[in-house]
Amino acid sequence: MSAVWATYSRELRAYFFSPLAYVVLFFFLVVNGIIFLNLISFLNDPRAAGGPPMGFFFNASWLMLIILGPVLTMRLVSEELRSGSIEVLMTAPVTEGQVVAGKYLASLTFYMFLWLPTLAYAGMIASYEDVDWGPVMAGYLGVFLVGALFLAIGLFASSMTRSQLVAAMMTAALLFLLFLVGLFEELVNNEVIKQALGYLNIWSHINELAKGIVDTRRIVYYVSATLFFLFLATRALEDKKWR
Amino acid sequence: MIETQNLSRRYGDFTAVNGISFSVGDGEIVGMLGPNGAGKTTTLRMITGFLPPTSGRVTVAGKDLFESPREARRQVGYLPENVALYTEMRVREYLGYRARLEGLAGSEAKEAIGVALDRCLLTDVRNQIIGTLSKGYRQRVGLATAILHKPKVLVLDEPTVGLDPKQIIAIRELIRQLGRERTLLLSTHILPEVELLCDRVIIIDHGRIVAEGTPQSLRESWMGTPGVRVTIKDDPTGAGDSLAQVPGVMGVRPGPGAGMWVLDCEGGADPREEVFRTAVQQGWTLIELTRERGATLEDIFVRLTTNDAALAEASSTAAAASPAAPAGNQEVAS
Repeated sequence: MSAVWATYSRELRAYFFSPLAYVVLFFFLVVNGIIFLNLISFLNDPRAAGGPPMGFFFNASWLMLIILGPVLTMRLVSEELRSGSIEVLMTAPVTEGQVVAGKYLASLTFYMFLWLPTLAYAGMIASYEDVDWGPVMAGYLGVFLVGALFLAIGLFASSMTRSQLVAAMMTAALLFLLFLVGLFEELVNNEVIKQALGYLNIWSHINELAKGIVDTRRIVYYVSATLFFLFLATRALEDKKWR
Repeated sequence: MIETQNLSRRYGDFTAVNGISFSVGDGEIVGMLGPNGAGKTTTLRMITGFLPPTSGRVTVAGKDLFESPREARRQVGYLPENVALYTEMRVREYLGYRARLEGLAGSEAKEAIGVALDRCLLTDVRNQIIGTLSKGYRQRVGLATAILHKPKVLVLDEPTVGLDPKQIIAIRELIRQLGRERTLLLSTHILPEVELLCDRVIIIDHGRIVAEGTPQSLRESWMGTPGVRVTIKDDPTGAGDSLAQVPGVMGVRPGPGAGMWVLDCEGGADPREEVFRTAVQQGWTLIELTRERGATLEDIFVRLTTNDAALAEASSTAAAASPAAPAGNQEVAS
């Protein structure tokens, strides 16, 4: 346990000590601000069909995760493989699983930290109208689940290569694929395939959760897929030794 | 303390280490010598548990590295060839992180960090960011990391590579001190380093052990007895024949200058006294009478690793592992 904690705290520090974190935080907030601003001015139009602002917000904002995922995770293992610090790390009495867990939890913590300022949007809305907090919380659960999966995929890609760029591109490709596969739901006529793709459609999952519909199947899907990629990351790290 | 049995490691088709067996006793300082690409780093990585061997076994302090990797790793402190540190951290913070990774906590960790900083003379820079430290200091941080958890065994891979002469002296002194309290296995291709630091030497080439022993015993078994160099004024005729009669002299060769001779000596013999008497009898004026520099590890190393490369190609037998006939006819190098 102390090994997980050691890796976690050192990784989290590394996030806050790198300029990347602040650049990411800055642009994340700028883009979110633009989305929110446009959303509010759009909803202020008397001709607009009403709806919960935060629900719309999550629907647009989560798309940034396709870029955010690679950026937040590319460094995690690749950097250690490139610099060679993996050697002193793995000769300490730690297991690959502990290292993966520590690094993953650090990226997840930083990811949650990124979303923290957006609570202010909900607060702002609350000062003008009544907010139904259930769907807002469910929306946050949605971006948490999707983010958790994306970070796991990114960590897996980072464990595969010593190049951060390759890791980032691999992650972006996988995430984009996952995004597209879900969209195909709308394009397919075959009922069975349509239904199958529906289980993978991240956008509709977010939409559903932002409306306040918490379906356990979705939670099971994201949690198990996340664990699967973390398992793959552990195996990728173990595999590094044998070559 | 360290025991390897028939250790082999392949990378795809390439065999980096080919059946290495050796043991390092408690408190011994052993140097592993070999040219670049001989398999030193791979061997050390297998001993520290970073690389699993393709075949063979490693035991450290009685713990099998495959069966109980974490217990075995706990006994080993490792300084890799490239000391890669997290450059954004301060020295003290980095050691704190390493202490937690090793499972030390609270006052135990604090004490261990204090000792490591003190031993590696890092106390003055403990608050400095690692990225701003010189290579020599980073090497010391690496060493501090290696001794932090008080391991019984210390494995150092080319600890002085890339340092300036002053830093090399400081690191060597530090290694010597650390070696007093624990078992130490270090690799290097700097030969004087081995003579300075090690009780025993293992010479590796092409993934095999080609020689093993104390620097002294290696010198004797591989290079024979040093020769004697004589210079006689005015180059008298018949001097060569007279010198050949001197007891203990096996052969006489003319040296590079006029009146200069090089005498090959029988095992263990030092015929200088007899040469002097002969000179007095013959009425020669002796200008020079010197014993040639004994074989250094460098000579042995060059012989072993060059001979062996040719031999290994000619036949696959490990015949090179037996000492060659004494050959004391080397010239004085520069």
